Amino acid sequence: MQQQQAPPKKKKKIKVPKVINGVETMVEVEVDDEGGPVWGPNGKHAILNHRLTRVDAPLKVSGAAEYTYDKNPPGLLYGRVVRSPYAHARVIRIDTSAAQRIAGVKAIVGATNEDVVEGSNRAADVAEKKDNMDLGSAKAPQKKERIVRFAGEPVVAVAAITPEIADDAVRAIKIEYEVLPHVVRAEDAIKEGAPKVYPDGNLEPKEKRGDAAKVEASFKEADVIFEAEYRTPILHHSCLETHGNLVDYRGGDSATVYASTQGTFTIPGDAAKELGLKESAVTAVVEHMGGGFGSKFGIGIEGKFACQLSKQAKAPVKLMLTRKDEFLLAGNRSGSWQKFKAGVTRDGKVIALLATQYQLGGLGDGSQAGQPYIYTVPNFYRERISIHTNEDASRAMRAPGHPQASFGIESLMDELSYKVGIDPVEFRKKNLKDEVYHRQLDRGAREIGWERRNKTPGGGSNPLKRGMGCAIGTWGGGGGPQCKVEVGIARDGSVSVAVGTQDLGTGTRTYTRAIVAEELGLQINDVVEHIGNSKLGAANASGGSTTTASLAPAVKDAAVNARLSIAEKLSPLLGGAKPEEISFSQGRVAGGGKTLTWKQACAALPSAGITAHGEWKSNLQSRGVHGVCFAEVEVDVETGHTRAIKMVHVQDIGLPLNRLAIESQINGGMIQSLGMALFEGRVMDAALGLQLNPGFGDYKIPGSFEIPELVPLIDDEDKREAVIGVGEPSIIPAVGAVVNAVFNACGVRVRELPITPDKILMGLSDRRTV
Amino acid sequence: MADEQDKKPLKKKSNHDPGRRRFLKGVGIAGAGAALVDHLTLSTDAKTESATADTGAKPVTRNVNIILDVNGQKRTVSVEPRTTLLNALRNNLDKPLTGPKLVCDMGTCGACTVLMDGKPVYSCLVLAVDAVGKKLTTVEGLGTPESMNSVQAAFVEHDALMCGFCTPGFVTTISAYLKKNPNPTLEEVREACKGNFCRCGTYPRVFEAALAAAKKS
Repeated sequence: MQQQQAPPKKKKKIKVPKVINGVETMVEVEVDDEGGPVWGPNGKHAILNHRLTRVDAPLKVSGAAEYTYDKNPPGLLYGRVVRSPYAHARVIRIDTSAAQRIAGVKAIVGATNEDVVEGSNRAADVAEKKDNMDLGSAKAPQKKERIVRFAGEPVVAVAAITPEIADDAVRAIKIEYEVLPHVVRAEDAIKEGAPKVYPDGNLEPKEKRGDAAKVEASFKEADVIFEAEYRTPILHHSCLETHGNLVDYRGGDSATVYASTQGTFTIPGDAAKELGLKESAVTAVVEHMGGGFGSKFGIGIEGKFACQLSKQAKAPVKLMLTRKDEFLLAGNRSGSWQKFKAGVTRDGKVIALLATQYQLGGLGDGSQAGQPYIYTVPNFYRERISIHTNEDASRAMRAPGHPQASFGIESLMDELSYKVGIDPVEFRKKNLKDEVYHRQLDRGAREIGWERRNKTPGGGSNPLKRGMGCAIGTWGGGGGPQCKVEVGIARDGSVSVAVGTQDLGTGTRTYTRAIVAEELGLQINDVVEHIGNSKLGAANASGGSTTTASLAPAVKDAAVNARLSIAEKLSPLLGGAKPEEISFSQGRVAGGGKTLTWKQACAALPSAGITAHGEWKSNLQSRGVHGVCFAEVEVDVETGHTRAIKMVHVQDIGLPLNRLAIESQINGGMIQSLGMALFEGRVMDAALGLQLNPGFGDYKIPGSFEIPELVPLIDDEDKREAVIGVGEPSIIPAVGAVVNAVFNACGVRVRELPITPDKILMGLSDRRTV
Repeated sequence: MADEQDKKPLKKKSNHDPGRRRFLKGVGIAGAGAALVDHLTLSTDAKTESATADTGAKPVTRNVNIILDVNGQKRTVSVEPRTTLLNALRNNLDKPLTGPKLVCDMGTCGACTVLMDGKPVYSCLVLAVDAVGKKLTTVEGLGTPESMNSVQAAFVEHDALMCGFCTPGFVTTISAYLKKNPNPTLEEVREACKGNFCRCGTYPRVFEAALAAAKKS
């Protein structure tokens, strides 16, 4: 009734991030331009902004949490894919007859030309368009050839009653290829006459910004002009739960898909298309998932295969990629190759910068934040260009393009600071407008003990040389109006909160509960959350650190509505107190001089209890964070081995919903970034076009021996009473900090990651001969 | 360290030699063949399962019934000789287990760690038939969500997990290690965990949890 009398709400237009396949673009939306619920001061929460243990932790530590990989319905078939062994080839013949004769093999499907892995799909589309142009549009469309464009591209998939038999079937399938020329190295791909990955060539301009002529002119005013190139290899997400789905479609008009995905709602549409069903007839389930890091949006080629196999066999099919599949065909972080020319004055101002930024995304575009990234350089010019190779398309990976850009510019800034003889921290401050960076640099420096820093890189006689470095990042984050949350309160006092979102290990379940518990004055375990199901309220996919900023405001709104709704019902029992004046705290409901226990209060509800809904409120979230990392390392100049000693990350994040989980996530960011600095990188054989290290035995991710002392610091001087995601920002600066610390330790500047011992030893020998 | 030996049977002559397991799993190469097809159909006729001799395809092996002693229960399970212990536990038991995870399937990550006669092993490197007569304990046998062991409780308390996919392996490894060394140093905990990978980056808190669990027990 009240709502009907209310005047129409004032609206305003704002820009919010929309994430597609993990990459965010800004879109304009209309939102309420008025008060609505507020979080209140960050230091005044009873549950939020405290250290909350995960509500799903007991299930996970005891093996009871069921991931997609663990689902095992009766009659389950196991799927496998057959990969191309060639980087570029035409499929001539596929013979599945021997595989079909194997007892227990239940279905075999082949990739069609419309239905190949994403990067190859795009290349096929571009080729077809060009063909049509060349041949004239009047020509009837021809059946496209089946071309594989990277080694590992899936060609056929099988399903069998056991994984062992599925492996037999894979081995029994015979595929004849006509091998075509390939190119897998960026420097080869830009050569004259290189095999073309796309019909128009391997270089694809992405962005030009700035005035090159002005930059050239301002070099004349610089005291030091410096040029350098920095490179990072392609990296792998290495989610421990591989990509995959269990598709349960036994005919009829509905299907269920258990998916290891970052977007519950990215699944039903994709699966429905493949199964020939309505989107609403497909239910996606994502109860727990074993890591995504940007690589798991949509159903993917493996999901399409699983649908086709299930449809053919009329049985549930679980197709989880093998570890080798995961390396070869499940996406990656694009490599980078950045060329800089910078001009700096003697007093430490970078006044001119030319940047050529190559994005090495294989069949994909790759990504890279534009230079000079966070720095204020009065005259800059940059070009971003994709170089295509015969490699699996890059996907979003935790802060797409940022660690690469941060590593490049932070290496450059560090080199410049040494050139002009200014302390690296002070040098950065001279080129950073934003005061938040200044305070975070100061805090990080204090925490690591910057004054203990090695004053002469490589100095001293001890072969174990210690050094320190720092680096900086930024991220947008922020949310959008996609989540629909329902809070239910039953007459027996039980409380539930439901929304179809997913918990990647980021703690979504825990804060969803916590927000409702806090609003109703309850304990976290008094609330039960239901998530990870596309039949529940809509939710955004988890990309770009937008989950919390999209979801938490809607949960808060639903909880506030639930509180007001129950308060309205209780008002007569509480001396007619106004609903908004009735207090809910410590399991009690009080107003009009009277107090009820939660149970008493709920007993007064109608038999159906209360259901309240919530939507996104822009004022409850924010976007735009900073982030600074300091690292101390020890380099053994006799072996070239680098060991991280200590890392400190300072992160602003607005209102921290769960300090414990946020610190864990910052730790995780530092560790993955350390992996990028010291260990990780895809290694390709240029002649064969094959990856040489598609497994954890050869692709090294950080292990227990490599973990330094980690200090994750939440910057509480950020007083924004608004939530912001922290997944991405925490991975960005550490890589640069480690690289700069290595230089400070031993005097070797490694410009191509990872910093393996051979590079240190080579650098030392060069230095000695110089 | 003895622990290292336990986890990597590769180093000694053993029944669980991964080379043997790989041999039994069979090695194959894809080759050349018939017509290019977009969709391939297959008879799902039940006959194909039993009539392999008629069609000329050779079954790689035949299933055998074995008894596995899992978490204190004797359980009959039908496996092929090449079936790994991990797959047997996850796929072939009548009530499959979900704790040991399949992550790399080649003994590099530790997510499939189970205890065999109290010692941690990579169950993806052990054949199910070689686990007959051994006492097997999975993470489920160490504690339940309602009644966690001290390591599990410490993992919860110290937030030693994020996505949780590596967690059963770490919990199992550390639970076994603390029995052997109830009062470890941080460096010893690192050593004990060196056969387990985590991608989310929970290591510092895994170490904290292990040390805290040691103090409590």
